[in-house]
Amino acid sequence: MRELRLSLAAVVLTGIILFPIYWMLVTASVPSHIVLSRSPPLIPQWSDMTFAAYAGVLGRRPVGTWLVNSVVVACASVALSLVIATLAGYSLSRFRSRAQEASGLTLLVSKMLPGSLIVIPFYIMFANAGLVNNRLALVIANTSVGVPFATWMMKGFFDGIPPDMDAAARIDGCNRMQALWYVVLPAAKPGIAACAVYLFIVAWADFVFARTLVTDPRLWTVTTGLASFVGEHNVDWPGLMAAGTLSMLPVFILFLLLEPFLVSGLSAGSVK
Amino acid sequence: MGMARPISRMEREDRRFAFVLLAPALVATGLLILYPMYLVVMLSLREGKSMNFLDSSGLPLGLSHYRDVLSDPATWASAVTTLVYTAGSMGPAFLGGFAFALLLNERFPGRRWLRSLALLPWAVPGVLVSVLFLWLLDASYGIVNAALRDLGLISRDVAWFTDERTAMAAVIAPTIWKSMPFFTLTILAALQAVPEELYEAARMDGANRLQRLRFVTWPAVRGAAVLALVLNTLWAFREFDIIFATTGGGPYRATETLGIRAYQEAFSYFEIGRACVLGMVMLAFAMVLVLAARRPLQKEFF
Repeated sequence: MRELRLSLAAVVLTGIILFPIYWMLVTASVPSHIVLSRSPPLIPQWSDMTFAAYAGVLGRRPVGTWLVNSVVVACASVALSLVIATLAGYSLSRFRSRAQEASGLTLLVSKMLPGSLIVIPFYIMFANAGLVNNRLALVIANTSVGVPFATWMMKGFFDGIPPDMDAAARIDGCNRMQALWYVVLPAAKPGIAACAVYLFIVAWADFVFARTLVTDPRLWTVTTGLASFVGEHNVDWPGLMAAGTLSMLPVFILFLLLEPFLVSGLSAGSVK
Repeated sequence: MGMARPISRMEREDRRFAFVLLAPALVATGLLILYPMYLVVMLSLREGKSMNFLDSSGLPLGLSHYRDVLSDPATWASAVTTLVYTAGSMGPAFLGGFAFALLLNERFPGRRWLRSLALLPWAVPGVLVSVLFLWLLDASYGIVNAALRDLGLISRDVAWFTDERTAMAAVIAPTIWKSMPFFTLTILAALQAVPEELYEAARMDGANRLQRLRFVTWPAVRGAAVLALVLNTLWAFREFDIIFATTGGGPYRATETLGIRAYQEAFSYFEIGRACVLGMVMLAFAMVLVLAARRPLQKEFF
């Protein structure tokens, strides 16, 4: 009985928590006259389902281009940050040095630095380098956020892999790089995957860099695109919710595939 | 003697290898964190305003921007706004996240699924969070107003984001929504590490539910809870996306936090010096918080 009550309470609360996402999906999938009403139905009829809002918004706005830009920028940011952070994380985990303390401090400083502040020197640096309105600028800017926490995460994962493994590989004739590449990295795969997901979620969400360093609408990412709906005289809500749903697709997919990693990683508390 | 040499060579090679692996991260940190911070400090120290947004190096150094910004009442109004926003969102998010973690720590069918689902808002990009709440709280067609009308709680539509009196609450709501999962997850992880025997012992000593929470649960999760609170507070303090994409700091500066203000000074008024001073003020506040919370932070980061 107690179990059932708890279960019910948790389901209801989760439902309330997820309501904004549910309402986005509903708004995007029913005809606009149903949701643009003074008393919209909480649970619409199945027979009312339509993809008109998706078709409409894809026709009127370059949502596809935004998504492609976001995918390009996010994937490149993940790749760059992950390579840097994996090497650095391994170094910090295996070799004692002063850099260890510095890496914790760097992470803390990066958590204190407001994006809306750091983007000012970034704008100046990238403009002087001729990189404004270039997706490379966004990749580099995202790396500045990604490297500190990804390095810290990877160090944690490598700490969990016994150094005996490297030593055994060395005895078998590997040099240091080979030991890392053929023995340690395969063992660290789950950690690398989790780290990649975090990096992706963070880069995917970036708004302040994308809005500031890129002004050409053809290079907008999906966050800049979504923000451009706001403030218009007549906001196209079903279209906006359809675009929002599309922008969540990669995140939903990652969630389905990698949820256990996410929970354990987030519990470790290094990402925020 | 014969033994010492190969070992020291090994060590030297280890060191070199460690450094080579670390080098890209050092370059990234230097170029993308330290150098930009140096630029911010230097820009905050330039007198006057350069005609060229990209080059302030011709201006003399001085403290005039600090004098102007620190004596401007609008700065302190923004500081108060930032603190209200941060405390107003972190308080409820912490309590809500804690309560939900206690619930998910109980044994019942399906809790693993609910735990993952409840994590979802954390992964939603800030701009999309803004858009979702703009829609929920829309004055004419928002479902929140519709529900409040049905319940008879309001007679006229509330324009949550554009009414000065409700705008702060309107930006706090999405912030709570996005930050709660982090509290839930970190506190839940700590709860699951509490040994069951502790609760049994407390029960045998006649402790009631509230006493068990106060004397068994809280001491066990305090470290994790405080750390989550500090990290989330640092995040909310510099949060930009949610406010910028909903109210942009308005109406009448009702939601203009220091972060929003710094951005507007730089990219709407091209007052880079002022913007950088505002950024330094933010960093000073963050530093106070970090120093106050240095014990839990030290455990996590050093």
